[in-house]
Amino acid sequence: MGLIARALELTGIATTLTSWNADRTVPIKPPRATYTNLARGATLGRPGDLAQQRRILEATLALLEQDAPLAPVYFPEE
Amino acid sequence: MEILEQRAAWESNFRSGWLAQHQQTGEFDWKRYQRPRNAEPVTGFGIPLATSRIVLISSAGGYLVRAQQPFDAAHPYGDYSIRTFPLYTPFDQIAYAHEHYDHTAVNADPQVLLPLRHLNDLENEQWLGDVAPQVISFMGYQPDVSRLLDETIPAIVDAAKAMGARGALLVPA
Repeated sequence: MGLIARALELTGIATTLTSWNADRTVPIKPPRATYTNLARGATLGRPGDLAQQRRILEATLALLEQDAPLAPVYFPEE
Repeated sequence: MEILEQRAAWESNFRSGWLAQHQQTGEFDWKRYQRPRNAEPVTGFGIPLATSRIVLISSAGGYLVRAQQPFDAAHPYGDYSIRTFPLYTPFDQIAYAHEHYDHTAVNADPQVLLPLRHLNDLENEQWLGDVAPQVISFMGYQPDVSRLLDETIPAIVDAAKAMGARGALLVPA
């Protein structure tokens, strides 16, 4: 996803992503990203926890209002 | 600014290492797989969320179970094609062709990977300008970065531009 984000950004489309896998994604240097401690297969939050999903979604989308590159944003969500 | 710096070196390493190993032995040696990395960030301008169109891009392998071919989830070298489906698709019409993550969570609550209803809500609350009418979907097991760069990424960029997106939310599985 990090490479796709870079490609879109270079064409003028602002990008943001969220990932549970900072180890693999940070070195690619996507323009804007949040990182959590959530599990693979549940990137936006625990099943049924709509509040958590919405919290991570809003925080990730909010990055779009800032110019890139941004430093990685880490959330203790798990 | 490049999507992937030192692409030629990455390709050489991939073909002589991980790929050659698999072709010769049928075994995957992930210790020989070089993860892509970059030294330089890319720059871009921020956008006003309340007046912008946002497109959702998912690598969960989602496809329309009755209308689209599933991704080739079992292929050892991945699937580099994309699908698009309407944002308002009922979740019971979406299946997931991807063998590299546990589907327990997404089967219990699809919004853990496809936040379609959350995005509808954010649009209705005028938190977002609007959400692009189609979701861009692919299967995120794509070990050949050259094919990702040459096939998947151009298709995604074209689809996002065709929908008039100013911003993109990327959700990996």
